[in-house]
Amino acid sequence: MSYIPVIGLEIHAELSTHSKVFCTCGAQFGGQENTRCCPRCAGLPGTLPVVNKGVVEYAVRAGLALGCRINLLSSFDRKNYFYPDLPKAYQITQMERPICTDGLVEVEGGPVRINRIHIEEDAGKLIHDDMEGVSLADYNRCGVPLIEIVTEPDIKTAEQAKNLVEEIARRLKYAGVCDAKMEEGSLRCDVNISIMPQGAKEYGTRAEIKNLNSLKSIGRAINYEIKRQSALLDAGKPVIQQTRRYNDNHDRTTALRSKEEAHDYRYFPEPDILPVQLSEEEVRRIADGMPEMPASRIQRYETRYGLSHADALLLTSERPLADFYEAAVACHPNYQSVAAFMVGELLRRLNDRGLAPEEIPFTPVQFAQLVKLSDGGQVARNDAKALLNLLFDAPGDPQELAESRGYLINTDPQALAAAVDGVLKENPKAVAEYRQGSAKVFGFLMGQAVKKIGRGADPKAVKTLLEQKLKEVDG
Amino acid sequence: MMEYWKRSISELHALLAEGTLSARALTEYFLERIGRLDTQYGAYITVCTEEALAAADRADGMLKAGKGTLLTGIPLAVKDNISTEGIRTTCASKMLADYVPPYDATVIRLLKEQGAVLLGKTNMDEFAMGGASQTSYFGGVKNPWDPTRVPGGSSGGSAAAVAAGLCVAALGSDTGGSIRQPSAFCGVTGIKPTYGAVSRYGLIAFASSLDQIGVLAKSAADCETVLAAIALPDENDGSMLPQALQLPGEARPLSGMTVGVPAEFMGEGTAQEVKDAVEDGLSAFTHMGARVKPVSLPGLRFAVSAYYLISSAEASSNLARYDGVKFGYRSRKGDTYDELIKNTRSEGFGTEVKRRILLGNYALCSGFYDAYYGRASRIRDQLKAEYAGLFTHCDLLITPTAPTAAYTIGAQEDDPVRMYLADVCTVTANLAGLPALNTICGYTAQGLPVGMSLVGRPGDDGLLLNCAKAFEAVFPRREALA
Repeated sequence: MSYIPVIGLEIHAELSTHSKVFCTCGAQFGGQENTRCCPRCAGLPGTLPVVNKGVVEYAVRAGLALGCRINLLSSFDRKNYFYPDLPKAYQITQMERPICTDGLVEVEGGPVRINRIHIEEDAGKLIHDDMEGVSLADYNRCGVPLIEIVTEPDIKTAEQAKNLVEEIARRLKYAGVCDAKMEEGSLRCDVNISIMPQGAKEYGTRAEIKNLNSLKSIGRAINYEIKRQSALLDAGKPVIQQTRRYNDNHDRTTALRSKEEAHDYRYFPEPDILPVQLSEEEVRRIADGMPEMPASRIQRYETRYGLSHADALLLTSERPLADFYEAAVACHPNYQSVAAFMVGELLRRLNDRGLAPEEIPFTPVQFAQLVKLSDGGQVARNDAKALLNLLFDAPGDPQELAESRGYLINTDPQALAAAVDGVLKENPKAVAEYRQGSAKVFGFLMGQAVKKIGRGADPKAVKTLLEQKLKEVDG
Repeated sequence: MMEYWKRSISELHALLAEGTLSARALTEYFLERIGRLDTQYGAYITVCTEEALAAADRADGMLKAGKGTLLTGIPLAVKDNISTEGIRTTCASKMLADYVPPYDATVIRLLKEQGAVLLGKTNMDEFAMGGASQTSYFGGVKNPWDPTRVPGGSSGGSAAAVAAGLCVAALGSDTGGSIRQPSAFCGVTGIKPTYGAVSRYGLIAFASSLDQIGVLAKSAADCETVLAAIALPDENDGSMLPQALQLPGEARPLSGMTVGVPAEFMGEGTAQEVKDAVEDGLSAFTHMGARVKPVSLPGLRFAVSAYYLISSAEASSNLARYDGVKFGYRSRKGDTYDELIKNTRSEGFGTEVKRRILLGNYALCSGFYDAYYGRASRIRDQLKAEYAGLFTHCDLLITPTAPTAAYTIGAQEDDPVRMYLADVCTVTANLAGLPALNTICGYTAQGLPVGMSLVGRPGDDGLLLNCAKAFEAVFPRREALA
């Protein structure tokens, strides 16, 4: 029997603020154990959380990027449970009044509604040493700011789920609030999944798969779960409400705990933090500072700039790339040739050199000037590619670079004439042969002239002039 | 010899400033009294002899350099739930018996900046849960007026230290009356400031939405001096008021002021001797020109229940961090994390603390939350509204501070509910976040002090202190010791 999967995601994204959410410790990834740890991180008696305003702004940016409503009044709650990586024995989160609600993200496979985005703190890390029989706690990650993005169960397939995670990651990166590196754990995903028979009105019993940390495992875990739950229903057995874990190596999910074993988190309002009150003006200021999201840029690139969908997708895949493109076309508004040179040449070189778009060593204006030299016929197409290599090694003004390296096409008529005259004077024998009707020495004379002029010689102009001069000598 | 322990802060400051007395001599004087007398009272858990003398020498340097303030060189005591860098801070619990904080509470930093001298850390009920200061892991505190009686609690050590002249003034904390009630039992003045007026950073939390650091001293004037030094904005506490207190407060004559007396506080549960003393106090206010009128606070009958639900719920969360992993006591028994926390908490906490943790967890369980914590929060909102209503036509309210005077040690400990009910006079100020001040208004036939409480609008701490100063100027205060 075939079933309809009903899937919702809970995505945890670490915000890339400089400091932690409730203290001034650095929030960077990794580092020597317990070096980014203060009395607050360790939950020492008497310490109090103080909300980092930057975190609130980042959460608002995330909400705007995912089309959410921003709640001017939000507040914090305590989620109580014992675990050694949680020094206070409670996590500060937003249960009752989250900062963002009711968003929408369009992806291939269908739009997905966002239920809420709330702010919370990350826990520390435990390192289990089986040899020594001890567990060690690293609190560097304690208090790193997180947002949890909760979707509605609008997802039907593993593909759509992966598309959604990818799109959310891209938007968070565009908004500049999260580096979305799944391999470092700065973006983690829990999947809630149930299945129901075709035509059914009520959702089936769901399983929650915890802590998926790659697109691949999200897709595989969902497909495994669909198969597992379908097999259960086909065999007339019930699906049990459980928390499950996905094992990458065995490509299967296993039960962690059932509903009966679930924690009672004893949520209550966090008394140490006053509710966060934002003004309309603050939200407007944050919105004004938001960059244009990829979907809208793709549309603009296609309809206004005439780019292909494939090129538009490539150029918007990362915000630094799209920003680079837009700065370049602002200087040289030949949209298609700038795009072609970026997609065809720049991206390949970035790839070869292992550079990220934000590591391009020259400015978009310099890049635009180079394309302009090529488009205007001042530099030959092949030479433009060579100049691009030079720009990587010695960033500078392309005009000057082309000049100093002799890549500029020489259009000075006097210099051309002088060179051609010189060649004719130095090669009387060849000139004589030409006169006697030997057409093949023309090629030799051409070569000599181009050599004399240098790299910037425009063969067409040299040819015309040489023919003309030879006629003159004739006459 | 000068009886320095009977002197006010301003008198001592004058002596220090003119150089007739050094901070070191004054500190040695109090250290000597503690050494000689405190074995009878148990007011201190830790006496910081070396640190105090070093601080006194620094204070003398400040005074000589002309950089002294009113508190420079003044020996103070601090309740042992306020974190002090390098000095153990125990909360009177086995759980923290050896815990040495690596940082100073904000109030300690502020007092150090003024050059005040910290004599030691005072005894209390374990984790500030109690009203008699008898649940301390380090032994109970005795009342200097009569060592067979309790000093009140939970800041009983601070109150006893002030009453016995073992410090000039002391810091305490007040979650449901823990400054005011021991001040009343020990015959001194004590103020619980408006919630959010004093930074809680470094105060080991009992119930975060109710806890407030305040001052116990021989007079309202001394309370004001110390409070002015600590009631300052602090970026380490995100729950503070947006505006700092104005101290000293606006000077307003008592004549023309309206004092409300909520009838519910003067009912059957309050001892006749207490009612009589409070009536005497009210007469003094009338005599000074205030208009005293009866008012009503009907929400009072739910206040103790709401207080115990909210405070215990918050405590269950605040005290969850004591798991034996990071700091404090750790059981030697247990092979797994679950066993380790179970044994650590079973062995490290006393009976009363465990009782409240259980009560609080129960009140927060899903399924019970609305019936308990939710309803308690609504009662809290109702009390706030009732108080706001009273303050539309009253400048301040006066109530008894406790239903009785200090009782005999051992008389109530077996009956927790009876002890809880005795908090009825004080808990509403915490639930509503209001400033409240205890001053002494009379003495029982047995010569025990009786306190009355002045309660004001949020931020009116200065007004309460001014009214108390006016009252104390006409009220003949007695000393506990000769």
